[in-house]
Amino acid sequence: MKALTANRLLDGEAVFLSEGRWVERFADADLFEDDAAALEAEAHAKTQLTVVVDPYLIDVIPSDAGYAPLSFRERVRALGPTNKPEHGKKTEGGEGIEALLHATGAARSKGRVELIRRK
Amino acid sequence: MYRYDAIDREMLADRTAEFREQCGRRLAGELTEDQFKRIRLMNGLYLQLHAYMLRIAIPYGALTGVQLRKLAFIARTYDKGYGHFTTRTNLQLHWIKLKDAPDILDHLAEVGMHAIQTSGNDIRNITADPHAGATADEADDPRIWAEALRQWSTFHPEFSFLPRKFKIAVTASPADRAATKVYDIGLRLHRNPDGELGFEVLVGGGLGRTPYLGPTIRAHLPARHLLSYLQAIMRVYNRHGRRDNLWKARIKVLVASLQAEGFAREVEEEWEKTDKAAVDLPDTELARIRAAFAPRGFETLPATSAAFEAAKADPAFARFARHNVKPHKIPGYAIVDISLKKPGETPGDCSAEQMELIAELGERYSMDEVRVSYEQNLILPHVKLDDVAAVWKALHGAELATPNRGLITDIIACPGLDYCSLANARAIPIAQAIARKFEDPALAEQIGELGIKISGCINACGHHHVGAIGILGVDKKGEEFYQVTLGGSAEAEASLGQILGPALPAARVPTAVDQLVEVYLRERLGGERFLDTFRRVGLAPFKEAVYAGAH
Repeated sequence: MKALTANRLLDGEAVFLSEGRWVERFADADLFEDDAAALEAEAHAKTQLTVVVDPYLIDVIPSDAGYAPLSFRERVRALGPTNKPEHGKKTEGGEGIEALLHATGAARSKGRVELIRRK
Repeated sequence: MYRYDAIDREMLADRTAEFREQCGRRLAGELTEDQFKRIRLMNGLYLQLHAYMLRIAIPYGALTGVQLRKLAFIARTYDKGYGHFTTRTNLQLHWIKLKDAPDILDHLAEVGMHAIQTSGNDIRNITADPHAGATADEADDPRIWAEALRQWSTFHPEFSFLPRKFKIAVTASPADRAATKVYDIGLRLHRNPDGELGFEVLVGGGLGRTPYLGPTIRAHLPARHLLSYLQAIMRVYNRHGRRDNLWKARIKVLVASLQAEGFAREVEEEWEKTDKAAVDLPDTELARIRAAFAPRGFETLPATSAAFEAAKADPAFARFARHNVKPHKIPGYAIVDISLKKPGETPGDCSAEQMELIAELGERYSMDEVRVSYEQNLILPHVKLDDVAAVWKALHGAELATPNRGLITDIIACPGLDYCSLANARAIPIAQAIARKFEDPALAEQIGELGIKISGCINACGHHHVGAIGILGVDKKGEEFYQVTLGGSAEAEASLGQILGPALPAARVPTAVDQLVEVYLRERLGGERFLDTFRRVGLAPFKEAVYAGAH
């Protein structure tokens, strides 16, 4: 299962595709079971030059309390920095945040790999 | 302090106006991200995990009160009310919006600041000994030469498209508080036996994926030839540096492949051809820059202060005096270290309120000077001994009086995976966990000088290779692991750390540090530092302590 993420051009915020819009909460992200649909969404996102920067697909897994990105890096993006409890999306709380906090999966982040490849 | 003149101010005004227009074109879709990325990076604006990050240049780590107040204003108005001082003595703001960036650059320009030379394949912001102008052991004030290099390198057309980024550090003290052995060019200013001022020139040091200590290619370059000689080095690098492979593009790889002697020969040949008079700084210009850093306003005072000694009756102040107060070249004055390493906090972070307090203390007690050190701390370089207790009291009230300079809790850590797009693993929480373990100041003092340096990836922004204990975050199939090295140092007798053993999971790291410290305390002789004991006994007992029972 995959979700589509990017950074918003205007402020750099980590955002996720949800029903054609870009939203800040991972819990609201569209989850793609079909790889072809996911790739199509990614291709379309890459045309949204004035909206988002560097869109890419991330792997998503079920956690104890919902769904979460498989990669720890992507969970940090979806939650905010772990060194400051008062900063980032985690401060909103709620079930979606709990799901991210309790996820334990691990995998290399495609976002980082692609970033380094492009460097 | 050097103040920007009309040329500098006009240059900054042009630059910020240009960037405002470029941002507008990007937001309007007239520039693609690929086109815009280089432009924003040339203005210090990176895109990270949660937001844009603005890296603001602090040339040779020197700030006035007005500048520090402006940084506080920007942090409060456009960020989340704090900033992060880095190992390159810059300030990073981690929550910046693209739409605000042009306004921020305008604010910076008002106080002679900018974000130029904080990214890209050019000569980056020049760093120098943070004790410059205050320490008795320097041959000259290195800021004079660092400022000359700033003016020479900024927008230098020949060096704006180098094979890779390029970093220069200057020291004039044998103690080397500028880590010159691990810079692309390290400059060590000294006087030769005839009393002539000159630079020992080191080239090809660096950390990252392939760490090297820079070899000396010239033992004594007459100081007046600094610019022409550096031009020769840059030309050799521009000509022969690898542009085909990102990982082999730094000058350290070129120097290693040619060997120091071969590289030096190329430089000398290039320098021989150079019209030195056309490149080197005219004496009048050097005198103009020198005048900006001339000592002024020091009073004639007794070498000791009754008030300072009396204040030591308070054990907390006495501990601060032992670790955070350093001798000054002028009798009756001291250099005061402000630690940004309160255990549990993020190393190098400073709130807007703290910046404002330090600005005020700098203006009132330190001749309007504040310095940033590559250890991610701040310094008040010129405090009267009579005033140290008052400064301490003010710092104490703002949680800035942690008496741990050089001790185990004075940890260097890069932003790591909590912020940085390139990181493999987090660095800050590891630093926080270690610092909490040793937060008892008496314990930290008993352990003595011990530099822990943590990087979240192989790019080594946290200088892990030169930590007495170095910690490198690695990615093992997406999980955070940490490789420990021992015996590194960036000081005069610099050394690269040796790998202790297999990488450890995050939860094991603080315990491993504890085990390393136990071995040190058991083995140390007399007044040995951790580094001295390690150099004497070697890796084996430390390895045994951490990995015993692991097999």
